[in-house]
Amino acid sequence: MHNRQSLLNRITNPKYIMVYATIGIFLIVYAFGAFMYSDKGFLTIRTFANLFIDNAYYGISAVGMTMVLITGGIDLSVGAVASLTGMFIAYGTTVLGLHPMTCILASLVMGVGLGLLMGWVIHYLNVPAFITTLTGMFFARGVCSLISRESIDIHHPFIDALAGWKIYLMKYANGQWVRIRPIAFINFNVILFVIMIIIGTFILQRTRFGRNIYAIGGNEQSASLMGLPSGRTKILVYGFNGLCSVLAGVSYALYVKSGWNLSLQGGELEVITCAVIGGTLLTGGVGSMIGTLFGVLLKSVIPALITFNGNLLSWWGKIATGLLLLLFICIQRFVVTSAGKRK
Amino acid sequence: MSELLSMKGITIEFPGVKALDNVDFSLNAGEIHSLLGENGAGKSTLIKCLTGVNHMDEGKIYLEGKEIRPSSPMEAIETGISTVFQEVNLCPNLSVAENIFVGRQPMKHRQINWREINQRAEELMSRFHLDIDVTRPLSYYSTAIQQMTSIARAVDIQAKVLILDEPTSSLDENEVQLLFSVMRELKANGMGIIFITHFLDQIYAVSDRMTILRNGHLVGTYGINELSKVELVTKMVGKDMDVIFNLKRADVKPDSRITLQANHIGDSSHIKDISLTLKEGELLGFAGLLGSGRTETAEMLFGASRIVQGEIILDGTKLNLTKPFDAIKAKIAFCPEDRKRDGIIGDLSIRENIMLAVQSRKGFMKPMTRQEQTDLANKYIALLGIATPDCEKKAGELSGGNQQKVILARWMAAEPEVLILDEPTRGIDIGAKAEIQRLMLEMCGSGVSVIFISSELDEIIRCSNRIVIMRDREKVAEIDGSSCTQQDILKIIAEGAA
Repeated sequence: MHNRQSLLNRITNPKYIMVYATIGIFLIVYAFGAFMYSDKGFLTIRTFANLFIDNAYYGISAVGMTMVLITGGIDLSVGAVASLTGMFIAYGTTVLGLHPMTCILASLVMGVGLGLLMGWVIHYLNVPAFITTLTGMFFARGVCSLISRESIDIHHPFIDALAGWKIYLMKYANGQWVRIRPIAFINFNVILFVIMIIIGTFILQRTRFGRNIYAIGGNEQSASLMGLPSGRTKILVYGFNGLCSVLAGVSYALYVKSGWNLSLQGGELEVITCAVIGGTLLTGGVGSMIGTLFGVLLKSVIPALITFNGNLLSWWGKIATGLLLLLFICIQRFVVTSAGKRK
Repeated sequence: MSELLSMKGITIEFPGVKALDNVDFSLNAGEIHSLLGENGAGKSTLIKCLTGVNHMDEGKIYLEGKEIRPSSPMEAIETGISTVFQEVNLCPNLSVAENIFVGRQPMKHRQINWREINQRAEELMSRFHLDIDVTRPLSYYSTAIQQMTSIARAVDIQAKVLILDEPTSSLDENEVQLLFSVMRELKANGMGIIFITHFLDQIYAVSDRMTILRNGHLVGTYGINELSKVELVTKMVGKDMDVIFNLKRADVKPDSRITLQANHIGDSSHIKDISLTLKEGELLGFAGLLGSGRTETAEMLFGASRIVQGEIILDGTKLNLTKPFDAIKAKIAFCPEDRKRDGIIGDLSIRENIMLAVQSRKGFMKPMTRQEQTDLANKYIALLGIATPDCEKKAGELSGGNQQKVILARWMAAEPEVLILDEPTRGIDIGAKAEIQRLMLEMCGSGVSVIFISSELDEIIRCSNRIVIMRDREKVAEIDGSSCTQQDILKIIAEGAA
């Protein structure tokens, strides 16, 4: 009998190559930072926690985006939908005097509804996802500007409480729990991000719906010939991505405590970048939540490195991200062609 | 034996054509029933109607006495009809195990039970004598294993009816035997199997009965011992075999001028030293096993792979071929082996496909008018007998034989001096094969020099003036086509001696 149980055999399964690449490169970059700037505190838990705090909203959105990309689609509306969520919350609480939860609920209806609608158009009207979601992006951005063309601050006890809520990381020393030094904490956004990654992993690995997502990305025609519900799956994936966009918008509103019609412009591309350097194939069929998690970390460690350096212009971050993206697309190309050659 | 499936009076009309006209078909439990016919005879349409892809205009389908009307592949699978298609219809990115179970994964605590999936997949594959790691992605494995995976999926679904649509076209002899033993085992368990193939020997090897279709009509259903191979072909094509293959070799005079000459050419990787000459109006056959260097040589002559040594001379001038465009300009044409991948552009119309080479040679700055294009396309559709309502039909919707004719038309329209055809008759039925061969010989008659690569020795012998035999990436012999037998060639291929 073939020994598929053996650890070595499991580890060398080619389906993990992309995840290994992401984690490997993250570790290299992180080790580089540790080597160069450990005296400035790069290795502290605080620095690591800040990677999560400063990028949670991208990460939350990347969970949904990963699923969309695995189906072989794309969603350009996420930045605009997240921005619109911020506008809903800001305008609703500050101008209309509504409770923020009401605004978030309204945003959820809007975001999920728009996602489902776009999914329906993509599947049943056979319009390319790029065009459909580009339309969705313009629509959401337009509504943002209709609501207000000025930035609106959010002042509400509920929002303040949620944004200010933190869990300090503790350690056990001399018989009692004390906060670690330098002080490090995680907040609501980080927890939401981690929960979304866990939910995403569960959906992708443990449900039929999740496996159908992979099947559709592998070969949509085959998937429907195998009797899989490709239409329903695609529509739900865009709906779920709408949900993630709204949650990302909530998270961003908590982060900046304001709503602005031009916020998160180009955010969709940052999110797609996170997913791609996390090993998600733009052609569909391959990707994982753990990869996306490390993709987010990898993308966010670069600005952190530049900050620690102190002398470099922040635009170097963009260049480094671009190079990373290029590197990953080359690796993907290599993986795809070498898999094809074995046939 | 009890009747498992019965289709009565099936009629399907597509715009302009009756794809199936009042066809009956029946399948018993524990039977392997071959479905035969040329390309375009309606086999695929009948299968698609059974699997819910196409919808019938008239007729009834009964499964175990109950009427069914599958409207989607999903519904067909649920009623117990599973299909293994010619092209593997699985997901390359999923593991072998998952491909068998996706959509109906065993669950435990409302979660997918991966352990059970992998275990059961392993058991299924070992039933097929395949000891492989089922957790690796499907794309990691050979086409044969992929094909077995899709059969395993159908078997595990506990289908009552299993349709195998050309499952053997990409399998080698051992794999075919393996497939046959699996089919016999399934048959013994009471499954009804519909088997479609172009290989007549395979039909006789496993089938119990056969049903023949021609042009959408039912010719008849026969027991396997009722028809000889010759009678079978006659019924499929509607003509006698002698008439079909009444071909005359190209007439080459000893003093005909030499058009193409290759001296000791070799590429960077495999081929070291090939020399050959080609005369005007001559048909030169390339025989040899797959991978013996036939295709690589052809690609060098077409500039698709670069030569690192030797020279190619056309009409006395040395050619410097660095890309196919150079060859096209020099009036060398090449029909590649895999027409779906390299030849036909399925989304373009027949007219556009035919125009490609002409336009490329004329240069894109001098476009032809639409009327000129249509006239040219219609001329070749009539000349080659391409079965289509008009020249605007998408080439991808044609049957294999007709696609091959479109590629031929493309190069004929470009009026080449040298035409290289790599396996032009692979995967098409016997009638279309004969027609392609006739067309090749007609082109020779009009002065074109043809290089004809084929794995089927009988057609090489039937058509070639001279035959080049390749073995292990070398040219081992060149023999006269009119005075050799299959045994002669096989001997040279096996032993390497001239």
